[in-house]
Amino acid sequence: MNSSPHLLERGGSEVKLNQLRMKQNIINTLLMLCLFLGMAACKKYITKDVVGQYPENEFYKTQAQALLAINAAYQPLAFTTANNNRLWVFGDVASDDAAKGGNPGDQADIEFIDQFNLNSTNGNLASTWALLYDGITRCNLVLSKVPAIEMDKNLQTRILAEAKFLRSWYYFELTNIFGDVPIILTPLKPEELQIPQSTVQQIFETVIEPDLANAATNLPVSYSGKDVGRVTSGAANALLAKAYLFESKWDKAASTAAQIVNSNTYDLMPVYTQNFSQKFKNKQESVFEVQHLTGQDPKLGNELNQYFAPQIDGGYFFNAPTQNFVDEFEKTSSDVIDPRLDYTVGRDTMPWFNNRIFDKAWSPSTGYLTRKHQQSLAEAPNKSDGNLDYVAIRFADVLLWYAEALNESGKTADALIPLNRVRKRARESYLYDSTLSGYPNIPAGLLPDITSPNQFDVRKEIQHERRVELGFEFHRYFDLIRWGKAYATQALFDKPNFNYDLNKHFPIPQIERDRNKALH
Amino acid sequence: MKIRYTRSFFLARIVLSTFLFLCCIVSKAYDAKNPSFNDVYVIINTNTAKLQQIFTMIEKQTPYSFVYDENDINLSKEIKLAKGKQLLKTVLQLIAKQAGLHFIEKQNMILVNPETDNINKSVMKLNAALITGVVLNAEGTPIAGVNVSLKGSKATVQTDASGRFSIDVSDKAVLIFSIVGYKTQEVTVSGQTSLTIKLEAYNKDLDEVVVVGYQTRSRADLSGAVSVVNVGGISKLPVLSVDQALQGKVAGVRITQSTGQPGDGVVVRIRGVGTINDNNPLFIVDGVPTKDGINFLSQNDIESIVVLKDASSAAIYGSRAANGVVLITTKGGKRGKAQFNYSGYGGFQSHGTLPKMANTAEYVELYNEAADNDNAGVTNPALIRPKIPATINVANTDWLKAIFQNGQIQSHQLSVRGGSDKTLYYISGNYFKQDGIILNSFYERYSLLSKLNIDLTDKLSIANNINISYSKKNTIGSSGDGYGGNGGSVVRYALFRTPAIPVYDSAGVYSDLPAYPGFFGDGYNPVALANKTDNKEIQYRIFTNLYAEYKIIRNLKFKSDIGLDAIMNNDKRFDENYGTNLRINNPSRLTVSTSTNINLIWNNTLSYNRVFNSVHNVSLLAGTEAISNKNNLHGGTDRDFANQTSAFRYIGNGNGLIGSTTSFESQNESALFSLFGNANYSYRNLYLFSANVRRDGSSRFGPENQYGTFFSGSVGWNAHNETWVKDHLPVISKLKIRGSYGQLGNQEIPDYGFVSIIGNLYNYPFGQTPSSNPGSTIATLGNSKVKWESSTQADAGIDIGIWKDKLNLTVDYYVKTTSDMLIPIPLPLIGGSSKPPYLNAGKVENKGLEVDLNYKNNDHLLKYDIGLNFSALSNKVVSLSNGQPIPGGRIDNNYNATLTTVGHPIGSFYLYEAEGIFQNTAEVFGHAYQGKNIQPGDVKFKDQNGDGVIDENDRTFLGSAIPKYTYGATGNLEYMNFDLSVFFQGQYGNKIYSQVNMDIEGFYRAFNVTQRVYDQRWHGEGTSNTMPRVTFKGASNNKYPSSRFLENGSYVRLKNVQLGYTFPVKVVSMLHLKSIRLYATGQNLWTLTKFTGLDPEMHVSDNVKRDTYGGDVAAGIDWGTYPSARSIIIGLNLNF
Repeated sequence: MNSSPHLLERGGSEVKLNQLRMKQNIINTLLMLCLFLGMAACKKYITKDVVGQYPENEFYKTQAQALLAINAAYQPLAFTTANNNRLWVFGDVASDDAAKGGNPGDQADIEFIDQFNLNSTNGNLASTWALLYDGITRCNLVLSKVPAIEMDKNLQTRILAEAKFLRSWYYFELTNIFGDVPIILTPLKPEELQIPQSTVQQIFETVIEPDLANAATNLPVSYSGKDVGRVTSGAANALLAKAYLFESKWDKAASTAAQIVNSNTYDLMPVYTQNFSQKFKNKQESVFEVQHLTGQDPKLGNELNQYFAPQIDGGYFFNAPTQNFVDEFEKTSSDVIDPRLDYTVGRDTMPWFNNRIFDKAWSPSTGYLTRKHQQSLAEAPNKSDGNLDYVAIRFADVLLWYAEALNESGKTADALIPLNRVRKRARESYLYDSTLSGYPNIPAGLLPDITSPNQFDVRKEIQHERRVELGFEFHRYFDLIRWGKAYATQALFDKPNFNYDLNKHFPIPQIERDRNKALH
Repeated sequence: MKIRYTRSFFLARIVLSTFLFLCCIVSKAYDAKNPSFNDVYVIINTNTAKLQQIFTMIEKQTPYSFVYDENDINLSKEIKLAKGKQLLKTVLQLIAKQAGLHFIEKQNMILVNPETDNINKSVMKLNAALITGVVLNAEGTPIAGVNVSLKGSKATVQTDASGRFSIDVSDKAVLIFSIVGYKTQEVTVSGQTSLTIKLEAYNKDLDEVVVVGYQTRSRADLSGAVSVVNVGGISKLPVLSVDQALQGKVAGVRITQSTGQPGDGVVVRIRGVGTINDNNPLFIVDGVPTKDGINFLSQNDIESIVVLKDASSAAIYGSRAANGVVLITTKGGKRGKAQFNYSGYGGFQSHGTLPKMANTAEYVELYNEAADNDNAGVTNPALIRPKIPATINVANTDWLKAIFQNGQIQSHQLSVRGGSDKTLYYISGNYFKQDGIILNSFYERYSLLSKLNIDLTDKLSIANNINISYSKKNTIGSSGDGYGGNGGSVVRYALFRTPAIPVYDSAGVYSDLPAYPGFFGDGYNPVALANKTDNKEIQYRIFTNLYAEYKIIRNLKFKSDIGLDAIMNNDKRFDENYGTNLRINNPSRLTVSTSTNINLIWNNTLSYNRVFNSVHNVSLLAGTEAISNKNNLHGGTDRDFANQTSAFRYIGNGNGLIGSTTSFESQNESALFSLFGNANYSYRNLYLFSANVRRDGSSRFGPENQYGTFFSGSVGWNAHNETWVKDHLPVISKLKIRGSYGQLGNQEIPDYGFVSIIGNLYNYPFGQTPSSNPGSTIATLGNSKVKWESSTQADAGIDIGIWKDKLNLTVDYYVKTTSDMLIPIPLPLIGGSSKPPYLNAGKVENKGLEVDLNYKNNDHLLKYDIGLNFSALSNKVVSLSNGQPIPGGRIDNNYNATLTTVGHPIGSFYLYEAEGIFQNTAEVFGHAYQGKNIQPGDVKFKDQNGDGVIDENDRTFLGSAIPKYTYGATGNLEYMNFDLSVFFQGQYGNKIYSQVNMDIEGFYRAFNVTQRVYDQRWHGEGTSNTMPRVTFKGASNNKYPSSRFLENGSYVRLKNVQLGYTFPVKVVSMLHLKSIRLYATGQNLWTLTKFTGLDPEMHVSDNVKRDTYGGDVAAGIDWGTYPSARSIIIGLNLNF
């Protein structure tokens, strides 16, 4: 660059100077004009709108968008990442049914829950809390935005009812795990999110009960075609019955459960294990089923298939059944065991998936692994992308609630009917399952009908039946707790850290306490 | 041939060939003796004629031919002539007067030059004489390549290898001698025919000019904190990137590599960590700003690097400059004939010190010891942990050895530069290839730089710079555990895979799961993982600008500069399906994508410079800048490939699955518009004042908060120019005291932060025949009130030079406060898990001291200089929204190693404090309760709050990844033809959380362990107070995130040693070259550190790509990072 200044000749002609001035004036004018135009244009220049994605204020306008919104509200139910959805940790590992399993120090936080060595920083707390409130947030968006959409009224009503069911489901899980939690029913701004806990009773009575009653009225009995898998009025009634049961409102629980049982919409599958097979999705025993589908992008498969599998199948062998659980299953005098044991648990020397024989060394912590949520490599070659649904409410479960509600409300004789219906199906596995040795004859003395007229005895029987019928379906710990201190303490005798009053509910995650100062 | 025209290389060739051609013609036509210029007559038969016609007429009548550049001369100019026979000399005098030309006779040529103001027009220099001479340096050594030019003409020659030159000039001519590194000298010939010129070495600090704030300024006039990097040092140092070459060279600038993988970026931090979001400085290359890295530049092309550290220096660059500015000027053309340069090097790279891992025998011994420990008291035979039988025949693989390789590195660059007084050019091409030190990683780059400056008229000049580069790399997992999406660090897998597994199984394929995974673990075969990684990134980048500068009137200039930075990336990644039961990457998956990132920059500046009454130096600048950015991404995926060979890794070859292919596209845009002004005033070069104002508007903020206005100013006192200092303290050659204060804006948050965005892909399956149903919800929450983050900086500095600047010292102290810090404040989880909105919530303070000390002595045959730089930094969060701490640095699901909170540095490690090993049961019972199964030999944690229970409240702050001190030391030695340079660099006071040690010393899974575990484990009272017993059952306690895995990250490293030899002039001239330098370099040869990992130079892992709070909040977590290479390189530098 030439930086030496070119001096103007002194005494240069007037004309030259004038020319220069003119030139300068023109340039200055141009510059001013540029600047001015720049100022006017720059506002537009620095305004950039979102493209290819909807900003919130342009969404929630059409029927199609209402559907997109409700679909998203289902997503937190799924086990597409077993890391986030830790229902199995609270339902099973914390209970007497299962140990953490896995490699000893792997996922130490689950171990701490297993041992009730609990910190509020335990990762399972935050991930579960976040997931459930994520579901609630999505439902709240549906419930606040969809009513204003001009669309098919029936569909609109259904979508709102679906959202109410799902929100109740998420709150129900939250109260089971954490007890008192904040109620949030509309989308809020960041600064409005400082909210204290409401009591479990408030949550049940002001949110869960009315919402489920509303959903049961507005949801269809069943779906066909592409909508199979959405929540039904039966599911809403079932969850309502369960809520009443958890509230010890026995009469309401019994009458609500009776509606489902008497509707003849549901029935038990002939073979117990069909509930845990990809061939029998959304069949008559399924009241509310969390859907999974393999081979999708984004992934919709079930990751429990990997979490619970032995290492030899590419799994992490978590959630290992305990000896205590295995011992719960009834035996006949000639040592024929309740077939549900081998439907539920992988045991040494027994057949396993992939034509293997189970080896107790696969599960260093207990010697057992659960068969539920498991598929063969032929069915699901990608272990983390399983195809099995999770039947969150099974008709057998409803029958046992019904039995329990009847028994607790003094109708012990009536209670025996649904209870024995569950036992009958278990024992009749021998009539339908050709893989059982002894098929097609029911072994003598296997799972006889309960006949006791005694409320106390029947209560014990129902508690026992629930444990063996619903093992590894993530219900056990919540049953333990609602059956009271004596029952829970006795069941968790080998967990010395367990203190019913302290551990009835898990602590609200520290990370939430840091962020929501209104929590007490 | 002594006179050459050097307008441009090509023009010179044309002129030259014309010249030769004419010589031939002339010599054939006129065999007669060459007539003297004075007695040649011509017959003129017209009163007026165009110049062209006159030249033709003369050429016809005389043996002379005219040689000229058509661009310089107006050939159609009408010249008045007198009719009749006249002396040629007289005619030429007439023409000279009227056309403003200047003629030189040269054999049969008449060279025509335009006359300039600086030469006395009335004197014709037709009596040319040959001047010869030699140019020497102060020591009497000849200097080659000195430009010798005739003042007022474009005639230029260069000295040869022995410093000699000859040139035809008139006896009153003035010759100008110039070369880089020496002061330019003017010499009046005044009748001499032989000259001996001694050039004085250039003292760069005295009147160095630097390009700052859209203009060139003398360094002596600056009152801000500005560091100029020794570029000579950089081009000597073969390193991959320019930013890497800055490492350890400037106080207050910290440079770390993310990983040692070729092509992985480096992290540049100027004056600490200002914010929890973007902390990268703004790079400005030849006037074009970029935040997208400068990997495309070859360091041989760099002319100068200037680092603007304080607010007042950086302020004029406004938005995006809050983290400091690195100004890079590439080499340009240079007046004189074409100079060619070849720079090349090649060498080998290998790994440094590796952690010592246990061998198979040791591993088996430890496993069985752990089994014994865990079996104690177990009665249920099903629960007895089996031991590894001695009969199992197993391998003994050194996995680290298996993944490392010797990587080649090479670089070749050819450049040419030259120019005339109106046109300058520089063209260079570079090839660079670096193989990684781990299998299957490499980086390769071709780049081309072309620069052209043209003075179109006295007032108008234009320039064009074009940088084009192509690069290709294969990226293997180099850090992290795969959470960020790169598959996890290969080093990590190599560290924890047990030696009992062979690399290949008996069938010759990569072994995957061992026959006994319970004994020998799982994970991935790291050799397979590296070799099967097909993750290619091809980048094309055009970085170019075009500007015009117009001198409106004296002292007033207008400049308009349009820049384009276009980056196109072609990414292609194939995840091959392999392993036991085809468990890895099942199904196989291909992802291809193309992204284009277009940045357009247009700035206009009006500048005015004038010295009033020789004492008041005023400069004013006003300007506008418009920057727009547009990002497009599109691509597709396919899955489940029946044929996985590379020939079939194309979309559409996926097999079977319905709808296996997907495609995607997205676009985002942002724009900035700014107005700025700068005023500088200095009085007698004694008192300096500077003030800036800049108003920035950004599309990233909501309509009501788009604009921010930022002010800054500085004052300086050049005390050495005071008479009393000159008189009383002659030893002091420089004493400048500076102070500055100012504010800058930062807008580095994602686009569209002011609105909530709906996200898709929240799918869920429904249906009798199940299918995926799309779902949508709010993915990112917006904040309509989001506005500029501002950083306020105060700086006080002093520059001292002693003994004619032999000793130079610069000291700066600064306080930099970031306020309205843009943070995506974590929302209470009850608000859902949408990405939180950016809020202006928080304040961070960085305080620091910077010292640069330099001593050089060129007085003797042994020349040397020693440079030291040192900086101290303290970083502290002053406030955060709601006082709510920000956890960061995920080390396990929902576990974070750091907490950013008020009163502590950003990203402070927040962990349990291990305080030894329980030696006996009494100690276990005497200590705060740690859990049920604690045994002697387990790690003991400190009960910080004294409540008798170890829980989350016992975590404490244990330091951060931000070093307290960083330093660099350079020594250069020159003796005769040898030169030696040594460069150390280091940092002190930072911590590294070795997450990989949790894996290889935590002993929670059948993973290999370090030799240290074998040697130092607790195995009975008093055996160890550092390393716990081996136990799987106790692992949960022992591997708890604690100070056990927190290490001292301080290090001193010998970054570079270089020995060079410059060939003597004799040899060089025999080879018809100008200079040859041969050198050998060793890099990273020696490191002093207590860190037990592979490389203390690491910053963040790949995991942060998925963390909401990544970057500096998650710094210093080592998952087994790809280490930097140790290199031996030989290079050659040729000038010809």
